[in-house]
Amino acid sequence: MLRLLERAEPIGPETPDEALVRRAQAGESAAFKALFERHVVAVRRFVRDLVRDRHLADDATQEAFARAHAQLDKLADHDRFKPWILGIARNVAFEVRRVRQHEPIDDDDDEGTPDAVIPSPDPEAVLLDRELEQHFTEALGVLSPKRRAALLMRIDHGLSYEEIALAFGWSIPTVKNEIHRARLKLRAALLPHLGAGGRP
Amino acid sequence: MTACGRTPLLESVVTGEAPAALANELRVHAAGCARCRHELNWLESEAKLFRERAARDEVLHLWAGVAERRGLRSQRPWSRVLVAVAASMLLLLGAGRVALGVTSSHGGPDASVFDDGFGMSEPLMSPALTFEEGENCSRLPDGVGFRCEPAIPASFIASR
Repeated sequence: MLRLLERAEPIGPETPDEALVRRAQAGESAAFKALFERHVVAVRRFVRDLVRDRHLADDATQEAFARAHAQLDKLADHDRFKPWILGIARNVAFEVRRVRQHEPIDDDDDEGTPDAVIPSPDPEAVLLDRELEQHFTEALGVLSPKRRAALLMRIDHGLSYEEIALAFGWSIPTVKNEIHRARLKLRAALLPHLGAGGRP
Repeated sequence: MTACGRTPLLESVVTGEAPAALANELRVHAAGCARCRHELNWLESEAKLFRERAARDEVLHLWAGVAERRGLRSQRPWSRVLVAVAASMLLLLGAGRVALGVTSSHGGPDASVFDDGFGMSEPLMSPALTFEEGENCSRLPDGVGFRCEPAIPASFIASR
C-alpha cells in the first residue's frame, strides 16, 4: 500500500534522490529517467574528462546509466546515487580507454609535479573563455586518469573524501594525497594561461 | 611563505562544507596569512573554472541510448494521447473546410511575395517582425536578425 502511495507522488525537482532510487528499484522507469536527467550532465562531463573524446564520452555515459539501471538493486544506500553512478562511469571510462585507446590508466604522473609554491591567480580576474577552456582541458589531460578522476570527483562533482575513497578502494589519506598532487600539477599547467594576475 | 596549520581547512570554505562561522573566521585569517591567501586564491579560481565549464553542458539527448539499451519506454502515454487528439482536431477542421466549400482562390497578394527564399522558408533562422503593407518599419529595434515583412492577410492563410 505504501509503495502504491509513493508511486502516485509526482516526480519533481524536490523529489530526493533517495525516493527516486527506491521507486526506480520498484520498476518505475520514470523515476530512473529523473535520476538520469538530474545526473547526466555531471556524469557525461566526468566521462569526457577521462576519455577525452566527445563521441566516446557519449557512448560511455549511456553505457554507465544502462549498467546503473541493470545493477540498481545493488545500491543499498539510496541517498548515494551520485557517487555510485560516478564510480560506475569511472569504470566504464577506464574500460573504454583500455579497449579503444590502449592507454594505461595507472601512469604515474609524479614526474614534474611542482613541490615549490607557485604564484596564485586573482579569482576575480579568472574568466573561462574558449582559449582558457582549451588550456584547462589540456591541463587536466596531463594528470594520470586515476588521479584526474579523483580530482574531478572532488572539485567538479563535490564528492567527499570518504565517497571518493569508497569509489576507488583507497584510504582517505591516499585520496587526500592524490588530490593534493593533482592540484599542484593542474595549477602549474594552468598558471601561464591565467593572465598577469598571478601573484606569489 | 611559512606553513600554516589552517591551510588544509580552506577547501571546506570553498566547497561550503565549513559552517558559516568557521568559514568567516578562515577568510579573515586568510586575509592576513600569505600562505592561506595563496591557497584560497587557487581554490576559488579552480572552483570558478570548473563551475563555468559545467554551465556549458547539454546532454539530455543521451537518454535515447540508455532507454534503447535497457528497453525502457516512456511512462507518459497521456502525452501521446494529447498529440493524437490535437491531430484529430486538425483533421476535423480540414474536413469541415472542405465540406463548407472553401476553395483555394483568394484575393490576397501573390504568393510569390512570400516566396523570396528568405522569409517563409526558414522560420527558425531569425525572428521576423511583421507589419501591415505600407507601414513604416522605423519601429524596428536595432539589432541583427529582424526583418520587415508585410503581414500575411487572413484570406491568404485560409487559402493554404
